[in-house]
Amino acid sequence: MGGKVTCTLGEVKNRADFIVYWGGNPAECHPRHFTKYTLMQKSKFLPRGRKDRTVVLVDIRETKSAKAADHFLQVRPGKDFELLTILRALIKDQKVSEEQVAETGLSLEVLKDLIEKMKAAKFGVMFFGMGLSMTRGKHMNAAALLTLAAEMNAFTKFVAMPMRGHGNVTGADVIMRWQTGYPFGISLNRGYPRYNPGEFSTVDVLVRGDTDCAFIIGADPGATMPKPAIDHLAKVPTIVLDPHVTHTSRLSRVHITTAPAGIAAPGTGYRMDEVPMPLKPALQSPYPSDEEVVRRIRETIALRPDWMTNQPQMIEAQI
Amino acid sequence: MSEVILRLKQDPVVTLEAEVITPDKFAEMSHEQICESIVYHGKRQLRLDEFFEVEGEKSEHIVLHGDMHRVRHLGRAMTMGSLTAHGDVGMHLGAHMKGGEICIRGNAGDWVGAEMSGGKIHVRGEAGQQVGAAYRGSLAGMKGGIIIVDGSAGIEVGMRMKRGTIFIRGSVKDFAGLQMIGGTIILGEGAEIRTGAWMQRGTIISLKPIDLMPTFGESGVMNPTFISVYSNLLKPHGCELPNDQNLGCYRRFSGDRSVPGKGEILIWQEHALN
Repeated sequence: MGGKVTCTLGEVKNRADFIVYWGGNPAECHPRHFTKYTLMQKSKFLPRGRKDRTVVLVDIRETKSAKAADHFLQVRPGKDFELLTILRALIKDQKVSEEQVAETGLSLEVLKDLIEKMKAAKFGVMFFGMGLSMTRGKHMNAAALLTLAAEMNAFTKFVAMPMRGHGNVTGADVIMRWQTGYPFGISLNRGYPRYNPGEFSTVDVLVRGDTDCAFIIGADPGATMPKPAIDHLAKVPTIVLDPHVTHTSRLSRVHITTAPAGIAAPGTGYRMDEVPMPLKPALQSPYPSDEEVVRRIRETIALRPDWMTNQPQMIEAQI
Repeated sequence: MSEVILRLKQDPVVTLEAEVITPDKFAEMSHEQICESIVYHGKRQLRLDEFFEVEGEKSEHIVLHGDMHRVRHLGRAMTMGSLTAHGDVGMHLGAHMKGGEICIRGNAGDWVGAEMSGGKIHVRGEAGQQVGAAYRGSLAGMKGGIIIVDGSAGIEVGMRMKRGTIFIRGSVKDFAGLQMIGGTIILGEGAEIRTGAWMQRGTIISLKPIDLMPTFGESGVMNPTFISVYSNLLKPHGCELPNDQNLGCYRRFSGDRSVPGKGEILIWQEHALN
């Protein structure tokens, strides 16, 4: 697997002459993305702005974003992984037959044309949304796109970036990464961070019922997670920190109202390209910030006697 | 033959990490040492006898009883002896195992035999995801030994496996043999989609028709001799592969061209009855 080959949106704005949106609808979900970073901006390297850029949209249906794109490729639902794998084969001049391409809903001619344009680009960028990462195949669909972006660097500069949403999710990943070395799915029960999505990721832990308490900050799993996970949240003591009363608060034991970050609480938000942005509150709030609540809980716990008498032992032969 | 018998007397509320339950450790331990060995109930370090009734000592044969679906890392990195469980077991069963034998009369969790390099695992029930796979970020999964699952298995069976054999009698979900580097996966009841995706080398044998990735190319039909050799080797483990050219043949597909790889997928096809 490739890892993430990425850049900041500033580079996209100044240099990207070939832009692919895969499984996302930026016109409606990230409405300022086109105008601020990808399509309309003029720069030293792209003096004519939109005219210097080629935009491709890959999605299962024609959304509003299709109007803004030069090329729209309608992929058959659930065939993203196959299409990306075919593209990986085609960039290496491997033979894929017309019938094999047809199962993705596209034709060989269209894909060859796309690859020609990709290879001819000076700076390509691929943005992928939840249409890719949340459909069948999940992490492997994203891995396929990231690997394609990595392999395109044999021909020209190419990067990939996820289209993140929902407030500061990127921030959570970034902070976890520099604190523990891993972005998510981390267990600290042995005294050192261990990473294993599927075993330690929140949704899997909740679905299996492997936890006896839940502490939720600024998220609403009660609205998005599968039924067994929600049932388990209702069963165990759940504590929610949120500015609003959410679905999760309704099934929790404790809800602590906090000041909304960026509006009434200061802090740092992370843009989807992992650039930190200071948040200056515009309003005053009677409620404490998330940070203050967590800090006070931590201080109270620190006053209690230490129940961990022995240092935890590392698992032998752990890799 | 002396045995160490463990009976689960108290269900763990959260996961119980019990990598101490291996024949290598118990072979050297007295009854008292086994009772006081440390298991991790979530973050809490507890004695083994808080969860298990312990019988016997100093034996490389372990027998477990009870529903241990939250007990993880059983038989971790074992090199000898045997471990038998009557009931379900949790994740990482026999991970990093180098030798010996595991038999589970129940279902197993995810990561059965992950990165193992020798020995045998037999799961009589169903197995979870990532059977014989590589851990996240690791370059190679299973490097030797044999895993037999009588029931079905989840996604990513044999992900990045390098050597060894996996036999799944039931059906498997998506991505069987993902990024496979070598070894053999035998699918008794076929697979869902994306079998052999991104494989470099290795062999996937399916006894039922399966959907293939569009990046595989058909390369003829055959009755390879090695199938008969494999069948003879696997017969003591209760698996047989058909290879009678009067009855049928194997359709061979090679790929995955996106890598580009030299892996092969063999699909058994019976001749139409005339």
